[in-house]
Amino acid sequence: MINLIEVKEVSKIYNRGGETLVVLDGLSLEVPKGDFLALMGPSGSGKSTLLNLISGLDSPTSGSIIANGKHLEKMKSSALSDWRAGNVGFVFQFYNLLPVLNAKKNVELPLLLTNLSALKRKEHVATALNLVGLADRGDHKPSELSGGQQQRVAIARALVSDPDILVCDEPTGDLDRESATEILNLIQILNRDHGKTILMVTHDPVAAEFSKRTLYLDKGKLTH
Amino acid sequence: MYWTLIKTGLIRKRIRTFLTIMSLFVAFLLYGSLQTFSSIFTGSVKGLSAQNLIVMPRYDMFGKLPISVAQYVESLDGVEDVMYFDYLMPIKLESMMDGVVFASSPNFFDIYTRFQAPDEAKQALKSTRSSAIVGKLMAEKKGIKIGDKLSFKSTSMNQDGSYNWSFDVVGFYTVTQLAGDEMAAIVNYESVDEARLSEKGTISMIMARIANPNMADSISDKVDDRFMNSSYATRTGPESMMAVEMASEVADIELIMTAILLSVFFTILLVSANTMSQSIRERTIEIGVLKCLGYKDRQLFVSVMLEATFLTFCATGLGLLGTLLLIPVVEQLSDGVLANTFNLELEIIFGGFILGLIVAFLAASVPAYQALTLRVVDALRED
Repeated sequence: MINLIEVKEVSKIYNRGGETLVVLDGLSLEVPKGDFLALMGPSGSGKSTLLNLISGLDSPTSGSIIANGKHLEKMKSSALSDWRAGNVGFVFQFYNLLPVLNAKKNVELPLLLTNLSALKRKEHVATALNLVGLADRGDHKPSELSGGQQQRVAIARALVSDPDILVCDEPTGDLDRESATEILNLIQILNRDHGKTILMVTHDPVAAEFSKRTLYLDKGKLTH
Repeated sequence: MYWTLIKTGLIRKRIRTFLTIMSLFVAFLLYGSLQTFSSIFTGSVKGLSAQNLIVMPRYDMFGKLPISVAQYVESLDGVEDVMYFDYLMPIKLESMMDGVVFASSPNFFDIYTRFQAPDEAKQALKSTRSSAIVGKLMAEKKGIKIGDKLSFKSTSMNQDGSYNWSFDVVGFYTVTQLAGDEMAAIVNYESVDEARLSEKGTISMIMARIANPNMADSISDKVDDRFMNSSYATRTGPESMMAVEMASEVADIELIMTAILLSVFFTILLVSANTMSQSIRERTIEIGVLKCLGYKDRQLFVSVMLEATFLTFCATGLGLLGTLLLIPVVEQLSDGVLANTFNLELEIIFGGFILGLIVAFLAASVPAYQALTLRVVDALRED
């Protein structure tokens, strides 16, 4: 199977107040295309840092990260922005929608960076909202939606530019069990039916059960 | 893309945006008003001729010069014609006059072309010593008609031992700008000089028409040098320059205005900078999310700068519009004295928007730089 993401001997070290903090310690990982990987581990184990490195939000102290054929550690900030826009969709714990924009406008945000016409953008937004089951809530602002619905809008925003990789950082951490299950089912569908490669950080073992495989981190290393 | 980001920033806290625009609006209204209405304080009235030189007492703008100074000025090369006058100051409350009476040489209107009167009235001023040409505005206010006696009390004593003066109204004059100048009357100098008991043979001001404006400096120097060490030292210069100098003798208006403008400018800057910084600080996570989505540092920097510029331009436009609406109000309140005096000049509008741009740049540069350098992982850590 083709590896979509290859993490090779990656370390991430912070120097804070003269103290050296090793967050990731020579970690290696391969994520095949179409995988649904859950990352678990205690707080401070390096899960989110690993996610940030794989999604091009941060750069490693050493080692290399190859994602969709690109060496992320060698790319500059501007090139990484372009790469993220085309390859990665983000889903956050607290949704992070822009409160003054309605669902449609929030979903449209990534498309404003493309050359698509307004009509084409509208079509893409409608498709994405339809996919997450919110076709009829497009004109609602985030404050008018439930937590589960807001997370669906966030997923639509992550999907709208059709990226290969979906990065989910505690996507159900702020939801009740029922809404969390709906969101996890949706993410599972995106993986299974739409071929998205999913990387999900979670503390919740129930959420991890929706993934194809689960890896555990502790003190910057994969344990099993 | 930029418009969506700008709109998002502006409507995020509508009341705050409204209040910021209002505070900037007041500041730009003040800017527009000071710039527009300053001409009456600084003497920078349009239409003053560069071809007219003014000669006046050097150390006292209300002092006197002997009439021989006018004769000397007339004798100089490059001087085409000379007009002179003295003030006959009415005692306002006891007369039908509300302004100044210029006791002038008969060629007043030939030289001072900003003042215009019918030919027959000008002719009468030259031929009839008791004639008076009254400003149109004053005539309207006081109900003065041609053929009326213009009677008033003055601070100058008449030959009969009284302070009463009387002239025959032969016509009305108008001015091209500053309608307040129509609150005066022009009478014949010779008749006044003959009739008064004191200060005979003296004048308050001389206006000389020169052949070439380029000769203004050399002629001015010549006149001032000639009388420098006499009891009647002169100050000579082009009409426009002297108008500003005379205004500045009352007070250094320009300095006061600059001080006010600078105070306003820095107040605007502080208010805007604080508001913009606060707004950006509140949007740290949003900026982080936008960067996640692929928005570049530079794009977010530009959007913050554009947002500030949009905000200040709205306020600048409103402030200048407010100034435009104030002009007829001020003219109305002046009871016609300042009618057709003020214009919102293009340079004031242009200057306002430049000022707005500077305010936007200074206020937004720090928060925009913060947006530029914000690391996504740091932004999301605040989540």
